[in-house]
Amino acid sequence: MWLIRINMADRSYTVEKAPAAFETLGGRGVTSTIVHDEVPPLSHPLGPSNKLVFSPGLLTGTAAPSSARISAGAKSPLTGGIKESNAGTAWAQHLANLGIKALVVEGQPEEKGAYWMAHLTWDDQEERPSIEFLPADDYLGQSLFDVFPKLYERFGERVTIAGVGVSGEYGYANSGIVYNDNNQRPNRYSGRGGMGAVMASKGLKFIVADPSGAPRREVADRELFNQGRRKMREALQEHAITQPKGGLNMYGTAVLINILNEAGGLPTRNFSSGRFEGAAKIAGEAIFEGIKDRAGEEVFNHGCSPGCIIQCSNTWLRPDGTEHVSCIEYESDWALGANCGIDSLDDIAEMVRLCNAYGFDTIETGTTIGVAMEAGVIPFGDGQGAINLVEEMGKGTPLGRILGGGTEFTGRAYGVTRVPTVKGQSMPAYEPRAVKGIGITYATSTMGADHTAGYTIGPEILAVGGDEDPLDPEGKAALSRAFQATTAFIDSIGHCLFIAFAILDIESGYEGMVEECNGLLGTDWTTDDVVPMGTEVLKKERAFNEAAGIGPAQDRVPEFMTREPLPPHNQVFDVPDEALDSVYGEL
Amino acid sequence: MAEITVDVWLYGALARYGGPDASKSFANLAVSVPEGTTLRGLLEQISLPTSERGITFIDGQLSAMPGLQPDLDHTLQDGMRIGMFDRKSMWPFQYRHGASMVPELAQALDERGLHHTYE
Repeated sequence: MWLIRINMADRSYTVEKAPAAFETLGGRGVTSTIVHDEVPPLSHPLGPSNKLVFSPGLLTGTAAPSSARISAGAKSPLTGGIKESNAGTAWAQHLANLGIKALVVEGQPEEKGAYWMAHLTWDDQEERPSIEFLPADDYLGQSLFDVFPKLYERFGERVTIAGVGVSGEYGYANSGIVYNDNNQRPNRYSGRGGMGAVMASKGLKFIVADPSGAPRREVADRELFNQGRRKMREALQEHAITQPKGGLNMYGTAVLINILNEAGGLPTRNFSSGRFEGAAKIAGEAIFEGIKDRAGEEVFNHGCSPGCIIQCSNTWLRPDGTEHVSCIEYESDWALGANCGIDSLDDIAEMVRLCNAYGFDTIETGTTIGVAMEAGVIPFGDGQGAINLVEEMGKGTPLGRILGGGTEFTGRAYGVTRVPTVKGQSMPAYEPRAVKGIGITYATSTMGADHTAGYTIGPEILAVGGDEDPLDPEGKAALSRAFQATTAFIDSIGHCLFIAFAILDIESGYEGMVEECNGLLGTDWTTDDVVPMGTEVLKKERAFNEAAGIGPAQDRVPEFMTREPLPPHNQVFDVPDEALDSVYGEL
Repeated sequence: MAEITVDVWLYGALARYGGPDASKSFANLAVSVPEGTTLRGLLEQISLPTSERGITFIDGQLSAMPGLQPDLDHTLQDGMRIGMFDRKSMWPFQYRHGASMVPELAQALDERGLHHTYE
């Protein structure tokens, strides 16, 4: 496969064979390796020394189900540490179809404020990918909902797009990289960590990919690969959560709103309570019924990318039945809803739409608004006021620029002490005081507070935690370590993390995942190799962070969580520092 | 015998057991039951077959998972909040490890292992 380096200083590029060491690496494994090896840890995230790396997962572009994942990696302007931000999109498959292992964006143009697009195609004669650079100045300062149709009109219906919105142009620490969904909409995101600002700092506005003419991907052992993907497919189709018309396909990820609310772990009004009285009105069950009412029929969710058989993405409708936004994910729903005391799905949908239009991470946006509410900028529960704040961010007003700096930045601007961040990145929708295991992952993840950092694959299968009580701090730390490693593995092979539900409960699905990889690559990995391989990725990320000045002292939740009891359980976060330190200390 | 009142939340498909005033996506009922009533008794009173429920909470403590219901004999107290979900609901393990659960479920999980469903 190919390693492409783009130098945005002069819009030149090189295409070379990817190093042999990358043959069995993909996605996060590749992006974190290149960032670790090549980016000076003390470089400015928006300066010329930072590098933005894209890599599709190992299985991405193959017929493995639910495997269209892209990892975007760089030094993060939000955390100051390493970042990999993962998304599901057909763009990931197109990169893989073009045979690209990694696309590294380097350098910076001297022309301030000038932007280009990279048009990525297959060169039949040279038998390798090719890039044409085109001016992108006509697309600046606009909603992505206006720009994407222009790009499709210009480059054709079959292309896929990665890009940045105005949030990146402003250099906000809250800026994602946007990708198209299956309906050419700009709504799939590498949302976290400010990757959009890194891309924009390179003067790169869009990467348009067209794999027409590229050869089919080679599979080392097609029989084994097909056996693996069949086991994976069967597990996903059999499991109650991932099967057609199952939990995710019907209620979407927001199925968790009512669950976390009942558990007393749904962060409410800027993490001041674990229970929101309006939760049931914004939950996945209410979304399903609301869409049904407005559409006049039951509507099951759709996939974010081709080949996904879980299909968890909804499309919220306006009262007249027309499309409002796709999609209202759990994290967005919570961040812009419960966390702001807002119980109107229409208001939440409008904020998600604006985030997609301008290029914001919905989590960071919601937690920023929550802190702004805490500061008294607008009251909790003020839906229209919150919509206006997102507009301010999109318009780049002075207030908008403060908010665009993220949750921690906004907390500093207003002197707020209840600021729910770790390593500068805001916490997602699980309260560490009610669910202490995820608090350990938030505190210790190389990514800053990150709910996807600790996805589980059966601890019993992994023989991790068997000797430890998962309820005591040491047991929780051991589990968190195992989860972070297995997550790094899944992020590298390119499966959606939601396969974890099925392969936790159905052992043949777990075997299938490993067989898919062995069939594709000709390797002889076993299920025992998953944790060690993920661990290698974590070690590189950790090493980068420590060299960037982010060490064990930053592996802590904010102080208020250790002092303020959280209703309704009235618990503080009391996991001892020693347990937190053991997560990476014993890696 | 003295009566107690429990705060019952029924989510998703279970909302249909919430009476005519329930919304389609959830129901919230104040249910009066005799003192000493167990969860089993409550389910009988609201005519909710236990086989239809999945994840269940008693006062914010996880008490049942799909296919694993060690909470049927749990005695209810006045003012308790009972939250019950249909079997399509889910709670990934990484988002619940360390969360509170009733002792009956903690013991059952110790025996059955960590899964998302036990069906």
